[in-house]
Amino acid sequence: MWDNISLLLGGPQGSGLESSAQVLSKAFARLGYGIFADREYFSNIKGRHSYIHMNVSSRRHPISLSYPVQILCAMDAETVFTHFQDVEENGVIVYDVSTLSTRSSTIPSIEPKLRERLKAYFSELGLSDTIQSLIRYLRSVKKIRFVGLDYPKILSEISQKFTLNPGQASRYLSSIIVGSVVGLTGLKLDAVGYALASRFAGRQQLIEHNLFIIEYVSETVREGFRILYELEPSKIGLEKMLVASGNDIVAMAKIVGGLRFQSYYPITPAADESFTLETFERLEVEGESLGSLIVTQTEDEIAAIASAIGASLSGVRSATSTSGPGFSLMVEALGYAGQIEAPVVITYYQRGAPSTGQPTRGGQSDLLFTLYASHGEFPRVVLSSGDHLEAFYDTILALNLSEKYNVPVIHLLDKFLANSIATTPLPEIRKVVIDRGKTVFEKPDFKRFDLSRPISLRAFLGSNTIQWAAGDEHDEFGHIDEDPLNRREMYEKRMKKIEIMDSEIPSENRCMFFGQDGVKLVMVGWGSVKGAALDAIEAMKAYGVRCGYLHLKMFSPFPTEYVKSILSKFRPENLVAVEHNYLAQASKLVTQNTGILVEKSIVKYTGRPIYVNELVRALNRVLEGERRVVLEYGA
Amino acid sequence: MVRSPNDYRTDVWVDWCPGCGNYGILAALYKAFAELQLDPTNTVIVSGIGCSGKTPHFVKVNGIHTLHGRAIVFATGIKLANPTLTVLVHGGDGDLLGIGLGHFIALGRKNLDIKVMLHDNRVYGLTKGQASPTLSKGLKTKSLAQPNILSSLNPIALALVSGYTFVARGYSMLSEHLKNLIVAAIKHKGSAFIDILQPCVTYNDIHTPEYYRKRVYFLEEEGWSPKVEEGNEIDKMFNAIRKSFEVERIPIGIFYQNTFKQTLEESYGQRIPSYLKTLPPWQKILKDDGSPIFDDTLFEKMFNEYIVKVEKS
Ligand SMILES: Cc1ncc(C[n+]2csc(CCOP(=O)(O)OP(=O)(O)O)c2C)c(N)n1
Ligand code: SF4
Ligand SMILES: [Mg+2]
Repeated sequence: MWDNISLLLGGPQGSGLESSAQVLSKAFARLGYGIFADREYFSNIKGRHSYIHMNVSSRRHPISLSYPVQILCAMDAETVFTHFQDVEENGVIVYDVSTLSTRSSTIPSIEPKLRERLKAYFSELGLSDTIQSLIRYLRSVKKIRFVGLDYPKILSEISQKFTLNPGQASRYLSSIIVGSVVGLTGLKLDAVGYALASRFAGRQQLIEHNLFIIEYVSETVREGFRILYELEPSKIGLEKMLVASGNDIVAMAKIVGGLRFQSYYPITPAADESFTLETFERLEVEGESLGSLIVTQTEDEIAAIASAIGASLSGVRSATSTSGPGFSLMVEALGYAGQIEAPVVITYYQRGAPSTGQPTRGGQSDLLFTLYASHGEFPRVVLSSGDHLEAFYDTILALNLSEKYNVPVIHLLDKFLANSIATTPLPEIRKVVIDRGKTVFEKPDFKRFDLSRPISLRAFLGSNTIQWAAGDEHDEFGHIDEDPLNRREMYEKRMKKIEIMDSEIPSENRCMFFGQDGVKLVMVGWGSVKGAALDAIEAMKAYGVRCGYLHLKMFSPFPTEYVKSILSKFRPENLVAVEHNYLAQASKLVTQNTGILVEKSIVKYTGRPIYVNELVRALNRVLEGERRVVLEYGA
Repeated sequence: MVRSPNDYRTDVWVDWCPGCGNYGILAALYKAFAELQLDPTNTVIVSGIGCSGKTPHFVKVNGIHTLHGRAIVFATGIKLANPTLTVLVHGGDGDLLGIGLGHFIALGRKNLDIKVMLHDNRVYGLTKGQASPTLSKGLKTKSLAQPNILSSLNPIALALVSGYTFVARGYSMLSEHLKNLIVAAIKHKGSAFIDILQPCVTYNDIHTPEYYRKRVYFLEEEGWSPKVEEGNEIDKMFNAIRKSFEVERIPIGIFYQNTFKQTLEESYGQRIPSYLKTLPPWQKILKDDGSPIFDDTLFEKMFNEYIVKVEKS
């Protein structure tokens, strides 16, 4: 019995893979297993190759992904051609027997570079480029096992049974994939039924059809092939689990945190968060309303951030959610929020950049940008999260900090987090605190920018006060004032907040160190690097090397003292940056703030996640003296 | 306490050029506010950047002086978060129809209850007289190096097709008439727009008070009826658009008013009943001890669809 299984499910974009992943995730969770699933896809609606990389564990909530996988389920020939090297020896590939004669060179959606690589691969081995010859080779040389199913036949049986037209039947293609996973892992059908009911609540026919195919396929696989990757019963021991994407968990946190206004302009990979928020706009629980949440799709991202700042001036917790191109447009207003000391939260999901970059792929190349975006100097918080639960609590922290210090807060996330589904324990709501900062509701001659305290009292528009604000330098009332001494005082009042935040925000919100005594090599990373880094620490033990991981969370104000206290114990050549960008941006900030050089780096900028297997290999290379390793694994 | 126009004055020195049309706009604003007895704490002027952008500092109501071209969108957030506020936007022609044009159009589509005052001086005042989007092609105002090479746009027609439900034109030197327009705009429910002809005595030597004195006439004196009655929306709009293209004689007054369209805040209110019942800023989000109104049970109920109950084996 297995305690951990990795799966790859691949097929054309738009063919239902995403909901297959949701169904499988919930089914595994139903039985108490932890899952972590990344979704990789093109910026395309229908037809291009997409896949789900899923890790299932009986012992814990998985936090990372690794290759090779045990099981590859291919909806089409392209998936087999793209991923056959991702499968371990003895692993299983489920494929469609009707594609046996399909050639890699004739699949138009395969990108030219991959087609060339395949061509070279086949010609080196002297193989023809059909699925059939590939299978023959993999079976004999790589000991891979194959489960061949006749997808068109299965679908035509379905359409006969339920009298569906072929178009309708083809929508069940993804259920063949789910069915084969069920067959191979022995996943209980009850759990699948539960997951389907939850995914397609109220659509009884859909549930019934899906369940039928899944059962049918799983029996065919089980009886016909007798391959079983049976998971041991779960030892995680939770009664309930949250199963959510990063986008969704952030949306939940915003609601718990009291958000009342969210503006956005559609962009991948941020928009799903706003969509989820909008489905909860009535904030109703069992018919009882807890308030209202205005979610508004604006004409552009400038409008998105400006209206969020406006809403904040009216006294509600407000946020906007975006990605790189959108944030680029928001920059002028970001500085305005800094200047008029308005709270606002920008949830920023990084994607492949610059420019349109890789719209649906991940990256961490916007860190320096978020720190320095907008002209002039003003205090801001830049906070990043490394996993789903961190993102939950950080979302609320972001709302709190923005209101407590009257500053814009950039909550820096990325596509990897946004689109990955993870199981987690339920967030502990009883530990959540809401801090709205100091407010005033009635004051004649109210000075919004009162110089007697660095963090002035905030009043809501519409309360018993009159207030002014201006992006121009202003006096205590908010009227334009260019007097040099006033300028100095106001400037310093604002900048002083950096020091105050630095002294007040606890270091555990800003940085975490993972590592025991005797650590030799310390990885320095942030955001989604966390999971892979932590699992690499474990994996490196097999090589007799103790590694540590410094997880940076807050980049402004930077936790200088804490980082210094950890890193100064190590020699610079034993510090290795692990990041999803070219410059190893966070490590530059470490040096800038602490004077400590992070001499080594392991970087990845292909848009795909860092996998534990490649990270471990890279760490070993670093130990052998390499200064910089560039990772590139993953389709 | 009855408020007089003077009560809406701040003691900030008004630093527009002597003779600037903006003074007339400001005077009309004070009078309109007094006539409506607007509560200063419940009124917000949001402005962009330009000579016009300074307006809020001179008025004793809440004043948010924002970014060039963006006043409308800051105002949008302010109003959506608290729909009981009276929200006015003051911007220049460069501001509202140049850099901020997209927002100007979008506000019409929203029909959110915001009043937009265009200080239409046909130049970029604060950057020293460049051509604005309302300056006609071929004209060469004082500080242009060459005649304007771009065509102008028609703010009234643009507002109409964008969906503003109150569209008017005023003239800054006819302050009483302008005051009446502002009062009517504020009383109107929905996106309102007033194109205010505003001489810039420093940079615009073509559209001077003389220029306007010769051309301006009152729509209402010609029996113009701007109000949409049930069923004649399109006719009214087409007539108003045609009227807005008169240039030799310049009509001022209310071109168009439609009171049948739902406002954005009403649309949200329909979808989210509690929105207009307890205004968002006054909705409770935390308990006295600082914990959120959510507890573990409420969380589980609200986000039930994300929670999986593990089957006991
Ligand atoms: C993003 C940006 N670009 C340019 C400017 C410079 N700027 C200041 S005022 C102004 C134009 C003002 O013209 P208008 O909007 O017609 O206002 P007026 O001064 O005529 O009232 C410009 C371009 C700015 N403040 N911000
Ligand atoms: S430059 Fe023109 S618009 Fe600006 S204050 Fe002077 S006269 Fe008025
Ligand atoms: Mg102008």
